[in-house]
Amino acid sequence: MTDLALMFKGAAAQIRARHRRLSDLDCVAGDGDHGSTMLRVVEQLEHAAGSNPREILRDAGWKVMGVDGGASSSLLGTFFTGMADVPSEGDTLDCRELAAAFECGLAAVRRQTKAQPGDKTMMDALVPAVTALRESAEAGKPVVEALRRAAEAAQAGAGNTRNLVAKYGRAKYLGEKAVAHEDPGAVSVALLFDGFYHGLAESKGETGNAGPG
Amino acid sequence: MAMKKFINQPQNIVPELLEGLALACPGQVRLVGSNIVARAQPKAAGKVALVTLGGSGHEPGLSGFVGEGMLDYSVAGEIFAAPGAPRCIEALRLAAEGGAGVLFIVLNHAGDVLSANITMDIARREGLNVKMILTHEDIAGGKNPDDRRGLVGFLPVYKVAGAAAEQGCPLDKCLEIAERMERNMRTLAVAVRTATHPSTGQPIFELGEDEMEIGMGQHGEAGTGRMQLKTADETAEIMLNMLLADLDVKSGEELLVILNGAGATTLMELLILYRRVAQLLKAKDIKLARGKAGEFITTQEQAGFQLMIARMDPDLIALWDAPCNTPGLVVR
Repeated sequence: MTDLALMFKGAAAQIRARHRRLSDLDCVAGDGDHGSTMLRVVEQLEHAAGSNPREILRDAGWKVMGVDGGASSSLLGTFFTGMADVPSEGDTLDCRELAAAFECGLAAVRRQTKAQPGDKTMMDALVPAVTALRESAEAGKPVVEALRRAAEAAQAGAGNTRNLVAKYGRAKYLGEKAVAHEDPGAVSVALLFDGFYHGLAESKGETGNAGPG
Repeated sequence: MAMKKFINQPQNIVPELLEGLALACPGQVRLVGSNIVARAQPKAAGKVALVTLGGSGHEPGLSGFVGEGMLDYSVAGEIFAAPGAPRCIEALRLAAEGGAGVLFIVLNHAGDVLSANITMDIARREGLNVKMILTHEDIAGGKNPDDRRGLVGFLPVYKVAGAAAEQGCPLDKCLEIAERMERNMRTLAVAVRTATHPSTGQPIFELGEDEMEIGMGQHGEAGTGRMQLKTADETAEIMLNMLLADLDVKSGEELLVILNGAGATTLMELLILYRRVAQLLKAKDIKLARGKAGEFITTQEQAGFQLMIARMDPDLIALWDAPCNTPGLVVR
């Protein structure tokens, strides 16, 4: 299995374990289907195919957009197709290339939404995760360690959405009423990154505290 | 209370309902490509094609308005969720084959707009001749048009733009007519009882036994005014006055009025409400030029309704009166 396939498999496992919580969170401000949308998203990630990372990412993004699950699947699909813009010709992505790919994905999402961290959206998890990955890559960390830090940053960002008032999506019509609940999109992104980390770490026997420094 | 709906596997709801629509209305619609709803008889080449997208679970909206005189293609998403760009671009490519350009009509909801924007990026790269129009007439969203959702106002926009396209108007003219209709319409919704999400079986919002909420969105998005349940006459008056003030309607003007049931509100109730709206307009010396009461876009068994008013001119009235033949609306 390629690193990307392992990461996608890990993400699928995380979402499958927690999809009910995502739907419960979505009941606060949305229509309670976010968990089932994410199940369909990760199923498509697992089906992504291609002969190199860019092809796999482009296929993953297009398939994710095709689950027809509203803003969540369109933005996540945009993120993965955007990652395919990374200038890399090789068969694998090293840590710097992976960081660059995530930055390309984030740039593509930003072309479609004006949402910023603080607006109680998936951006609250995505932006810190991508930043953490870049910093780890610059510091010369191995991929697994960089993904662990990205997952932690995403988790912290998602947790912080509990304190925020929504400015986008259906939740914005709730205003103050949605405070005290995490944004389901941000929690999903945190779960995806946690899955990327675990998927890769477990295959390399580097889970838990055994990861390199 | 457990959900009581006649469905099979939740993941099959959308393909099964689209199959049923095509089988029940064979003279009007058929399915093409990746489950895209198309006219049974394609429009003659050289005429502008109309395309829309939107979530399912709102039948007859939106795919129920595909047919002669209205839409050419509708892309239905999952329950209450927009379809993604892959199927939308497929519909735009089919529509562009007519050679006269495509009007892409999008209701202002975050997921629909996002998907439409991604699709438009691809359409531009491919050189397709597509113009997009956003409907956003829900006054509960406040003064900023970006915050106003697209509700039942899609109906007159599909209708007048579809009639213009049928008459051979070029794309710019069809767009101008759609924009004129859109600018002159306002909608307000009220909910009195929640619906269950057909995939999850959960209620989509909570509302007290004796409460109603004015400004409720299509999917249970919170509105602005939760209050004690009122009579038909009181509710109609509160909502109509808000709409008339927002559209700045003057006495002597002509209006189109649409009363749209949310799914569980009966035609009996809609007719009682409609009668009150007509009485109030008459008292204000505003002409009720055209009107409809019925179900055009629903949210499962949600109880409540949308009241839409639109300022009409002779051109718009003529296009509203033009023939159409769709599962959701027939004008002869």
